[in-house]
Parts: sequence; structure tokens; C-alpha cells
Amino acid sequence: MSLRATRRATLKGISRAAALLGMSGAAAFLVRKAEGRVVWQIDTARCINSRAGEVGVKVCDLCLKECVVTQSAVRAVNEYSQCGRCNICPAYFNVTSAVSEKGVPSEKLCPRDAISRKPIGEVDPSDPANNFYEYVIDEAKCDGCGKCVMACKEPAGLGSIRLVVRHNLCVNCNSCAISTACPKDALTQLTVPESISASSRPAHSQS
Amino acid sequence: MPYRLAKTFGGKGSGRGQFPSAITGLALGARGRLLVSGGPHVQVFDSETGVPLARWPAGSPALSVAVDSSQRIFTGHEGCIEIHNAAGVLLDTWKSADRLGQVTSIAFAKDSIYAADSRNRLIRRYSPSGQWMNDIGGDNPTRGFVIPNGILTCAVDAPGVLHAANPGKHRIERYSPDGKLLSKAGKFDQLDPAGFPGCCNPTYLALDARGNLYVTEKAPPRVKALNPDGRLISVIATTDLDPLAKNCPIVVDARGRVFVADPVRLVIHVYEPTSTEKAL
Amino acid sequence: MTRALLVLLCLLALSAPALSQAMQYERPVDTAPREKDIGGGYTTPEVQKPLPRGAWLLILDFALLGAALAASVWLTIYKRSRRAVVWLSLFSLVYFGFYREGCVCPVGSLQNVAVALTDPNYRIPILVTATFFLPLIVAALFGRAFCGGVCALGAIQEFVLIKPVRVPRRLDQALGLLKYAYLGAAIWFAIQPAASRDFLVCRFDPFVSIFRRTGFAHMYAIGAAFLIGGMFVGRPYCRYLCPYGGLLSWCARLAPRGVSITPGRELDCGLCNDACPYGAIEKMRADQAGCLYCARCYRSCPVDRKESGLIAIEEIRPA
Repeated sequence: MSLRATRRATLKGISRAAALLGMSGAAAFLVRKAEGRVVWQIDTARCINSRAGEVGVKVCDLCLKECVVTQSAVRAVNEYSQCGRCNICPAYFNVTSAVSEKGVPSEKLCPRDAISRKPIGEVDPSDPANNFYEYVIDEAKCDGCGKCVMACKEPAGLGSIRLVVRHNLCVNCNSCAISTACPKDALTQLTVPESISASSRPAHSQS
Repeated sequence: MPYRLAKTFGGKGSGRGQFPSAITGLALGARGRLLVSGGPHVQVFDSETGVPLARWPAGSPALSVAVDSSQRIFTGHEGCIEIHNAAGVLLDTWKSADRLGQVTSIAFAKDSIYAADSRNRLIRRYSPSGQWMNDIGGDNPTRGFVIPNGILTCAVDAPGVLHAANPGKHRIERYSPDGKLLSKAGKFDQLDPAGFPGCCNPTYLALDARGNLYVTEKAPPRVKALNPDGRLISVIATTDLDPLAKNCPIVVDARGRVFVADPVRLVIHVYEPTSTEKAL
Repeated sequence: MTRALLVLLCLLALSAPALSQAMQYERPVDTAPREKDIGGGYTTPEVQKPLPRGAWLLILDFALLGAALAASVWLTIYKRSRRAVVWLSLFSLVYFGFYREGCVCPVGSLQNVAVALTDPNYRIPILVTATFFLPLIVAALFGRAFCGGVCALGAIQEFVLIKPVRVPRRLDQALGLLKYAYLGAAIWFAIQPAASRDFLVCRFDPFVSIFRRTGFAHMYAIGAAFLIGGMFVGRPYCRYLCPYGGLLSWCARLAPRGVSITPGRELDCGLCNDACPYGAIEKMRADQAGCLYCARCYRSCPVDRKESGLIAIEEIRPA
């Protein structure tokens, strides 16, 4: 090998060692401060579909339209503990449709029929109005269009239904398309202090 | 429209005749005095002019107000009922953390006083001396009134029948003093003004001497007059109230004037029947 | 317009169940019926709060990335098997591309690494750090093995290349500088203060909408343009725009091993030179910075084919 080639090889070796060292240093720096993770979250108090103090506004379906996940990672969720269990739920029924002979609206509100309704408690089969009802949103069907959220909000309902980013579906884009489009800046990135070791605990009981 | 808006008074503020945060109840006393609960005071207005006459501080925020035949003023609170004389001097306090969870309505019959407890979704019947006698409205599959709107209201007609709004069931129910359901009127209908719309209506109700019912609704707010059978007589108001107004107290005087409070704008509207209505 | 996106941070998304409730909707609701109001033995159902992709799955993703890198090195520079590299590319395209929807992606992660290095408040998970550095370290030792059988963005272009044309060397070199400009711009926009930060690489990722089968017209248009162009010009995104490719080629220059046209064994036939669609063979030697680890040169090499028993070489004697 010529002297020149040897010198070049030596130089290359030194550069390589320096590069590897530099990368290891940067990686070590990042690993040391890696204790949080960033996730997207909807601020219910900002989302126009759920924020109180505003009625008669159009339902916002940007979460449905903008999300890059095929069936939006934003889904409607009924916080059962706050649900009024109404007989006539304005989020379940299209209340402006004709009243059927059963005394309830004849049409449902959800375009994907994602909400189910069943009487709960000591059920009175003879008088449907005499019962509480449980409303369950089928997360697999929901596409986050927001109609039920708007229908449930105060003062028409109790506002128990909100749009929620489903972390199992969200791909955590650096620039969340919904957040870019959201007129109320309701999507925010949340840094959750948690390390990988902590997160690999078994999950709590999930339905 | 057989009613016209004759006057509006009140407003947001801390001065006399104003309301800083809430209006929770209306009641009429002798000599055209209108009593209004809500916020830190109970206030008295001249119902003709809307001029504030007097006010006194409430021990805790009053959730309802009523005047009995001897002009004593009852106010409902969390956990108690306070009784003042017409001058605002405290006469008595009935306390019961269990039975008087949140007293959002008080009504008087000849030998009983009804207190609507919205926390427990029941109407409590007391003797005039403040002795609890029985509960009303709990003997059904929902174990009480269905009130997602958060308030429970009742009124008593001339023969002594208790009328209570059951908004979750979209009806007005009539009860005997011992708690027997005598009849019910009303059904859900969003499109027909004769029905009660939304998840839970009517919210507040009042009775006049002839037994006609006056009710307020929410989402959208609406004031209606119904005959004793619960049939629609007229829609009194729709547009004057704030669209966010949820539970609007209502009371009607001997001349048929309807007082409706807007708890969002913190004003009181006075509606007068027009001549055509008087002919009715 | 930013439907574009991107990614990588899927890795990010491990979290506790409490997460979904971290932002509370403050509204007193005491009017909803409780269990004792409802009666009949009713119990309030638990509200679904699904967790992000499980930690072990994320670790599996990373392990697959490492395995694919190792396979790329082994199959290309030791086995010299173009056929095996094609299969590896197909796996990567299906798994990292269509199944994980472009989410185990070191390309976009360079922005997150840049932000995390400069913004004290920005943190990235260890797996993102690892995903970013692993291909670079491999490149510094063996060349751009990531570009070959591993990168889904590369694989999708690899499969559309049907009629490669040779880009004039000057033009090729000039266009190759674009990726460094893009790299600089991507870092510059990423390290802005949080409010004005932008993730260019994500925004203009050409193929992610194809992987996700969703996205917006302009994203599909960019992807389609690269794929159509890529039928004739080998892997145009990788060679001219990919900012991570820029980092990889710097590292690859330092690699002691890599795809090599072995001196002493060659026939000087030049077939490999013609077979390379990426202009990475110069003067009969592989250019580590530009070599995309596709192994086409080996397939074309008569010496290799002979050693594999695919052909026999006969000396043609003049009659």
C-alpha cells in the first residue's frame, strides 16, 4: 500500500472514530433527558363541539376530515359518570325527526349508528319514559364527526360526550393535521413525564 | 302572540336591584311585591314598576323563594329552609342535611309545605310547623324525578293538588299529598310547541288561580302557558331569553302577568296578556 | 396543508392510562344519576381509555429495524444476493411501510433529534434516539445498508424502477446537493422556538399518504410524481432529496467495509457499471456515499454468477 493510501486510511479511521464518538455522545445526551413523551390531546373546554357558552354554532367535523389516520384517531367518548341517562338523548336521537308511536324520535343522529341505547336499573317495560338509559359509543364505528358531542353539550345536555384522541390509534404526527386546522387551537401536545421502563408496566384493566 | 313583553328589569351587577351571579327563584307577595332569590341576597321588587324595594343577605345562596299566606318568606338552600318575615327578619331555619339536600322549589298547601329536593330528586312534605311527613315522587323505577337539568320544581293548585315538573320524562305530574301519582300530562316533541323538546323539559313551572300551568323550557328557551289538562294555550316567549338560559324561574300573578327570569342575562321579563288573551 | 405529516413519533406514544384524563374538562356535574339513583344493580361502565401501542410492540419494531439492517448487510455484502435483497425490501415495504404506516422512520426523526438536542424542554423517547442513530452507526461501519433493504421509502421506489436512464454525472452531483440544502432547511425549521417550529420533512414526505392509503391530493401528487419519475431515474427521492440520506452518505464515506468491486477478482468488463441505476460506480469502483445497497452490481457480475454456479465462463478461442 502506498504511503498516500495508508495516510488516507488512517485519516478515515480517525474520522470514523470521531463520528461514532460524537453520535454516541449525542445519543447519550438524549437518552439521559428522555423521560417524557409527547402526545396529542384535545382540550374539551376549547373544542367548539363541547365548549360551553356557545350554542347554535355549526358542528365542527375537522377531526374527522383532517386526521391522517384512515378513520380518524379522534373518537367521541361518553363519560358515563356525567351522563344524564336521558330517555330522549339528543345525541342518540335526531330530535328534530318525527316522533314515532313509541314517543321517541324516529331517527338516530349518528350517521354511522355508533351509539347504542339500553334501559338500565329497574326497568319499566310499559313506559319507556320511566327508565334511565345507558348510551355506549362503539369506538370501532365512531369516526369523530362531533355531531353527538355538539348535541350533548350544555344547555341541551350535560356535555358528557367529548372528542378524545385515541392514543392507540393516533400516530403522533410531528405536525398533527387536526391541530393545524383546528380553529380553536384545541389540540395541544402534552408532555407526559414517564420513562419507557415505567410504561412497560402491565396496563391497568382496560375494557 | 297573545302575550307581550311589558317590562324588563334587573341586570348584572352588585347594586340594588341587580344580580351578581344568579337568579334562582321568583315569588309574589302581598301588595304586588316580587321576591327574587339568587346570589348573596334575597331582593324585593315592585312588580308593577320593577323598582327595587328592599334586600337582605341570604345566609347561603338561596336556591328558591316562596311566600306563604301569612306573608312569611321561605327560601330554599343547601341543607335548609330559611323563613323570614316580610321585613326580612329571620324567623326560623329548618335544617336537614338528608332531606333538604338542595331545595330548588317550595310550595304551600293548606296543611302542608312542599320542598323540592333536587339532590335527592324527591319532594318532601312538611307540616306547617316544619315536621317532615312524607316524600313524593320516589315510588317509580327511576327512584325519583328525572332532572338532568339539575332543578326540581313544584306548585300547588287551588284544590291542593301538587304539580311537579318531571323534565326527564317530558311531563308534568300531579300528586296527592300522600304521594300518589294522580295523573300526568305532556310528551316529548321537538317540532310541535305543544310537546316538550330536548332531553329534559319543562324546567320550571307555576300555576295561576284557575289552574293553568306556566312552564319554561331550555335549549332553546321557551315560555308556555298550558291549560289544566296540559294542553298548550299559548307560547309566551321564545326570543327574549338568552339561548344559553337553562333553568328560568317563572311565576304568575293574579292579573295573569307572567314573570320570567333569565339566569344568564340576569334580568326579569314581565309578560302581559294582550286583550285577546283576556277574552280567552 | 399539513396533512402530511409525520411521524415517527409513534414510538413516542407509550403512556399511562391516566394520560387520557390528564387534561380535565372542568365542569361540575352533579345532576347525572348515580348508581344508587339508577338501582337494579347497575354499575357504571368504565370509560374506555385505550393505551398507545404497547411497549413490547415498539421494542419489536426497533428489533425488526436492527434485524433488517443486519440482514441488509449480510445479504448484500456477504451473500451478494440481489434476490434476497429484493425479498428483504418487500418485507420492509410491507411491514414498515404499509403495516406500520411509515412509522418506524429514522428519516423524519432527524428533526425530533435536532429539536431535542437544542430545546431543553423537548424530549424524545429512547427508542426514537435509537432508531435515529442505529442506521447511521451501521452506515459508518458498512455503508448505507439502511437505504437498501430496510427503508420503506426507498423500497417503494426500488420496485417501480423499470427502465433506468443514466443521469449525466454533473447533473447527478448537482442534484445530489439538494438533499443537503433540504437537510439544513429541515433542521433550521425544526429548531425554531416551539410556537414557530415546523417539520418540513414530515410535511413533504412523498410516500406516507400512500402507505396510509389516506391523505390529500397534493400529497398523493408528490408521491405519484416521484414514483413516475422513479420508473426512469433510480430512486430520485433517496438520491436528491432525502435529508437522512445526506447524513447516511457522510457516515458511509467513513465505512471500512461496504459494497465493493473487488480489485483483483474483476474482469474489468464494466457490466456492474451499467447495472448500477444510481450512478454509484465510478471508474469501476463503488462510491460508498452514493451506493444504495441494492446488490444489482453483484447480480450483473459474471465472476459472482460463476461462483454461484449460475453461469460457466468459457474462453472463446479463435477458431
